[in-house]
Amino acid sequence: MGISVRGLVKSYSAVNVIHSISFDVADGEFVTLLGPSGCGKTTTLRCIAGLDTPNAGTIAINGRVVSDPARKLFVAPHERDLGMVFQSYAIWPHLTVAQNVAFPLTVRGERDTRDAVAWALDVVGLTKLSDRRPSELSGGQQQRVALARAIAARPQLLLFDEPLSNLDARLRDRTRLEISRIQKELKVPALYVTHDQTEALSMSDRVIVMEAGHVVQEGTPEDLYHRPVNRFVADFIGSANFLDVRRGPSGWQLPDGTPILVDPASDTGDDSGSVALLRPEAIRLEPGVHGDLTAAGFNRLTGRVVGSMYLGPHAEYIVEVGGLQLRAFSRAALPRGSHATLVFTALDCRLVASGTPHSRSLAHAG
Amino acid sequence: MPGDRGKPEMSLAFPVRVPGRPAAARGWFGTGGVLRVGYVGVFAIVALLALIPVAALVLGSFRDSAPGMPDGSWTLSNWAGLASPGVIDTLTTTLIVAGLTTAFAMVFGTAMALVIHRTDFRWPGAMTGLLALSFYFPSFILAMAWIVIGSPGGLINNLLQDALGIEWFSVDIYSVSGIVFVMVLHQIPFVYLTMRGPIMGMDPSYEEASRSAGASPLAMLRRVTLPMLSYALASSALLCLVMALEQFGIPVLIGVPGRVTVLATQIYLLCRFPPTAYGLAAAVGLTLAFLTGLAIMLQRRLAKGGRSVVTTGKAGRITPIPLGAWRWPVNLLFGFYAIIALVLPSLILLYTSLIKFFTANPFDAAFTWRNYTYVWHSEDTQRAIVNTLIVSGGGALVGVLLGAACSYFTVRLKPTGWRVLDLMVMLPFGIPGIVLGLGLLWAYAYLPLPLYGTLTLIVLAYVTRFLPYATETAGARFVQLDRSLEEAAWTAGASKQMGVWRIVMPLSLPSLQSGYFLLFMAFFREISATILIFTAATSVLSVSIWSSFEQANWGLASALSILAMVMMVAVMSLLLWAMPGARTR
Repeated sequence: MGISVRGLVKSYSAVNVIHSISFDVADGEFVTLLGPSGCGKTTTLRCIAGLDTPNAGTIAINGRVVSDPARKLFVAPHERDLGMVFQSYAIWPHLTVAQNVAFPLTVRGERDTRDAVAWALDVVGLTKLSDRRPSELSGGQQQRVALARAIAARPQLLLFDEPLSNLDARLRDRTRLEISRIQKELKVPALYVTHDQTEALSMSDRVIVMEAGHVVQEGTPEDLYHRPVNRFVADFIGSANFLDVRRGPSGWQLPDGTPILVDPASDTGDDSGSVALLRPEAIRLEPGVHGDLTAAGFNRLTGRVVGSMYLGPHAEYIVEVGGLQLRAFSRAALPRGSHATLVFTALDCRLVASGTPHSRSLAHAG
Repeated sequence: MPGDRGKPEMSLAFPVRVPGRPAAARGWFGTGGVLRVGYVGVFAIVALLALIPVAALVLGSFRDSAPGMPDGSWTLSNWAGLASPGVIDTLTTTLIVAGLTTAFAMVFGTAMALVIHRTDFRWPGAMTGLLALSFYFPSFILAMAWIVIGSPGGLINNLLQDALGIEWFSVDIYSVSGIVFVMVLHQIPFVYLTMRGPIMGMDPSYEEASRSAGASPLAMLRRVTLPMLSYALASSALLCLVMALEQFGIPVLIGVPGRVTVLATQIYLLCRFPPTAYGLAAAVGLTLAFLTGLAIMLQRRLAKGGRSVVTTGKAGRITPIPLGAWRWPVNLLFGFYAIIALVLPSLILLYTSLIKFFTANPFDAAFTWRNYTYVWHSEDTQRAIVNTLIVSGGGALVGVLLGAACSYFTVRLKPTGWRVLDLMVMLPFGIPGIVLGLGLLWAYAYLPLPLYGTLTLIVLAYVTRFLPYATETAGARFVQLDRSLEEAAWTAGASKQMGVWRIVMPLSLPSLQSGYFLLFMAFFREISATILIFTAATSVLSVSIWSSFEQANWGLASALSILAMVMMVAVMSLLLWAMPGARTR
């Protein structure tokens, strides 16, 4: 059950925007398509909704094939029984809040919509505004009307197309929680499209990272964060230091020859173009010099502070070490030019592939 | 959003009665085929509307007999006839008249738009209203009024000779300059209305930048404002040129007595006065249509290229340029325009309609109601009024619905062949009304359809001619409507036709109303497309006015004109009251 996508291809004129991708969303699962703009994530979602027609591949919703160009099969969006929340909310301005929410029911010929509308508005906490016009609502309220409308007819599938990108930061945080709670209660599969890694990590059971029309990696948020398959994923999710490392006579070393221990599990023996991923928060940054040491799965290096940015809970420092500049956090005040000690475990320093055949756009991926 | 902070936690308790989910609705709106059938239907209708008259004209231009006559044969003489000195003279006159009209109308219309929207002119609202009113003032009624004023036996000459005793100077409206003068008066509101949008939509920061760089207001106008408006100016000038080329009412009333013939009137003369030459008329018509079509094509190109240049949609507040010492000259000029384009013609017609025999001196005049009471006794006139209301009221509804359907397909759904549909809708826009009428005359003399001599034919002619008005107003709205509004309806379970019915239509109602208003007004005053295809039973008010004037019955023509204008104002107010959406124009 859930959604099953197999070999989906979509091209506009001669340009392929989706190159044969496959994935599943299990019943009740919350899956996010994550990627930079233009990676094909929204097109994939629109193909599943039936708003775009794929060129090849099959899409099945709860076991029913809704799109299969090879068999000339295409089920129109209104017959796919889904609820969708749009980036622009797409609340109809000529209808009241209640009429907007009732639309999926009235359009199916249902006469008594009162209970269902009351329930949906109650779920999003807008009961008091049911007679308002959309123009009288704030952005956050409109967004919740869109959500109520999407769930009012109890669809078997929920689709979200960057629903939070027009909200301000504070509202985004709260709505994020609401969406995942509603989805969990409804127990329907949900597919969520975003370019925002925070949304993807915080809401999803599983995340599918896309780039240039391909699936780069799929896994749980923890998987993606800690075990990214390549530099693109590592860079796109969370902030990252990339260490240019090479294999020396007695192990891995930094450009200036400083020896360093890396996660042995990530060492595939392939030495070409190696970079090591080291998350800034994995580095313990302390004032003073304690001497370099690499032993017992620990790295201790000495560096020099070359830049700093005060962020409130801590400060972010740029530290020059071993011919590289690394970002690290510390609550201590470290004057620019002073020496500092960096400590991190070998397990936190993972070798990752520096690229994939289709990662052309690393520059704007961060 | 302070309003929704502190909202109670969402209750996820399900209602006791969980709403069931019936299968997607079926039926007339539920299945997918309605729109497809609609598309085929709209495509076929537009193809017939646009292509039949054109094809008939082309065929007719190779015939040597009148439409429907069995004894004709094929010939090339009509096309050879284009090279005759008569036709070439007419073509030259047409180009001179249209060129001069466009030049003057552009200068005055643009200047007025700049003054109204860019300076501290005191009465912008009143002046905009006056210009909108004179935009709807029918051209042939304006021509009639100016004949009464400026003909050799008219008001001005009477005044000059009898009251002032001046013999060495007189005016004659029956001339090229007379035609140009009245046409300029008629075209100025059009130029104003087309330039007003671009001028108001201009991003003020460009002008402010030039002012802060030290440019004087005039230097700014010359070096920043006008160059930035160049696309809009060129586009407006081309449309103005098309309207001047196809203008029929003014040159037929003023030019025929003055022996000044333009292509549009030549077509009429060739069809109405013996020896008739319908084939030559068709060839002349195609030539005229070629000229206007060329200008339309150029204009469409320009409009496409210029869209991104001028308007940023960020119409901000702009510091008005002080008129200073120019204030009173400008005020006088505007007042003068209002008088000669609107007030004086209306008063003259009112006066003429109330007197028994024409005299320039109201103190000599014998006043009478007979021209108005005549309307009560004349069945012909009453029939014409009823016909006009049927054709305008019903025809505009047909037109706006067909136009909206076309736009929905060409702007939003874009099914196979939508470009062809778009082109066919625009095609008649390049065809002058008189030429369209001639094409329909040729077509329905041959086609075995019982349309000749019916109001349906008149409606067909009007809808064909003015369909772009409807497609443009509806299309502009469809472009603005965010695509996701409709997609949200589909994903919520609505079929495409249900989405149109419940989302697109209600959201587009204002522009549909505005389109209906435009079509109603255009149909009400149209004469050029009617003049060749009307019969006694299908005469409309514009034709009645014109034919009374032709029969030198100035009094009756004026009374009918006054009646027509009162009806127009009444209907205009009624429509604006009933359809708030139409007010945007």
